[in-house]
Amino acid sequence: MISTLLLIGILVAIFVGYNIGGATTGPAFGPAVGADAISKTAAGALMTVFFFVGAWTIGRRVVDTLGRDLVHDPGVFTLEASVGVLFFIGVALFVGNVFGVPASTSMTAVGSIAGLALAAGELNWAVMGEIAIWWIVSPFIGFWVSLVIGRYFYAALNRRIAMERSEGPLFEIDRSGIVPTPALTDTTNLREVGGVVMVVAIGCLMAYSSGTSNIANAVAPLVGSGELEMNPAIIIGCLAVGIGTFTIARRTLETMGNELTELPLTAAIVTATVSATLVIFLSAIGIPASFVIIATMCIIGLGWGRATRPMTVGEAVRGEESAPVSVGALSEDREGEELPPIGEEEEPERIPKASDLFDPATTARVVLMQNVVPAIATIGAYATFRFVPIFGL
Amino acid sequence: MVDDVLVPMDGSEMSERALEYALEVFPEADITVLHVVGEPSSMWAGATGLALADDLEEAANEHAAEVFERAREIATDADADVDLDTEVELGHPVRAIVGSAADHETVVIGSHGGSIADRVFVGNVAEKVFRRSPVPVVVVR
Repeated sequence: MISTLLLIGILVAIFVGYNIGGATTGPAFGPAVGADAISKTAAGALMTVFFFVGAWTIGRRVVDTLGRDLVHDPGVFTLEASVGVLFFIGVALFVGNVFGVPASTSMTAVGSIAGLALAAGELNWAVMGEIAIWWIVSPFIGFWVSLVIGRYFYAALNRRIAMERSEGPLFEIDRSGIVPTPALTDTTNLREVGGVVMVVAIGCLMAYSSGTSNIANAVAPLVGSGELEMNPAIIIGCLAVGIGTFTIARRTLETMGNELTELPLTAAIVTATVSATLVIFLSAIGIPASFVIIATMCIIGLGWGRATRPMTVGEAVRGEESAPVSVGALSEDREGEELPPIGEEEEPERIPKASDLFDPATTARVVLMQNVVPAIATIGAYATFRFVPIFGL
Repeated sequence: MVDDVLVPMDGSEMSERALEYALEVFPEADITVLHVVGEPSSMWAGATGLALADDLEEAANEHAAEVFERAREIATDADADVDLDTEVELGHPVRAIVGSAADHETVVIGSHGGSIADRVFVGNVAEKVFRRSPVPVVVVR
């Protein structure tokens, strides 16, 4: 006999999973759907499958971290407290989706659980510290790797990943044999197939990485409470995510809110690959990773690297000999200062310069803002669990 | 007599109202519409997309074209006998607007722009322009 409270817990977990499905399909398959490589339904199906694979294989390590290691005594996860924690995670997702301020679900989850543990005096500071250090280090790794790619390899990559879709469908089903097999249509060329396979494959990689880090956000409190075994919890969580990918994800795939689709395809691919790899690595060592922040730092790194590459835009286009532009262009470029002329044949008036786009102070502000929702969740959770006496602590 | 006015437009309704106001109050003036592209956003994708473009200027102009189109429509609707000048700048709106304000006599700006997310990442542009601008600022409400 399942208690009412456990049922509520499972329902809230399903709600969280449903929102995760909706929120993560966009970044993962937005570029592929946008390029008409696959349909939304196919995106939902691939998302569900690869999310499950990620959750089942590596995701359980993060569930262990959140549900067992982060607290000295998993007893703090009473059913009431678990529902409370899931509630905070759900609110964070909701805020992110409604106001377009992306909030890291993983950071919010860790924050709410830490708030709970702190209120009960059971927080394992060693584990918390390890997680926090990786939260600081991993975005910098992503930033640096992307910066190097943006500065030295982007142009070459971009030439290779030129993705032109021809008219008509990519595949047709050949029914002449006993088993219907997909075959390339006449309008499809091989290069195009390569591009399509690549965006879809990277979508799958993202889905997998999302599974490794996000399953814990939906089910860790319930697993920690001991009311739900690991395997059934992962299956329930993945089913909820699956429902999200087929329902609300259709809308999130369409809205312009998905920042990754604003990037050129090559940039989206680079960002996705670097950040998904980092997230999988962190999940493998049991650290709940923040995809939003890692991806943001990757995007900034890529753009900044490209903006400060050692030649002017015009020259790069014409393939002329490179003329070095100060690498410190960004730091020199303070408010109100006249910009130095770039190319000589240009008009003498002020020329827009790519490094204008990357102001360190504003960048810091954006990154800081992404930490606001998790911070509020942490404080809110602490205050709630400390002073509202209904959680059986 | 003011005869050189800068109207920063972000495409929001408020910025359109600022242009209408400028056309009405300074009918004799030259009006320059300024649009800032690649402004900070939640994951910085817009700015990076521009930075990665082969021809930055062309990409920036493309982004701005729609806003300028709308601005010309408003000028036509107002039966204004002016040729709107246009200007595209990159990066942080406040910095860009304050930077070009010095070349004009007055700035006419809408009191606020787009969404809550913009407000979070950029802050209130009109308020900051008002504080830092080297020339008088008219804030349209």
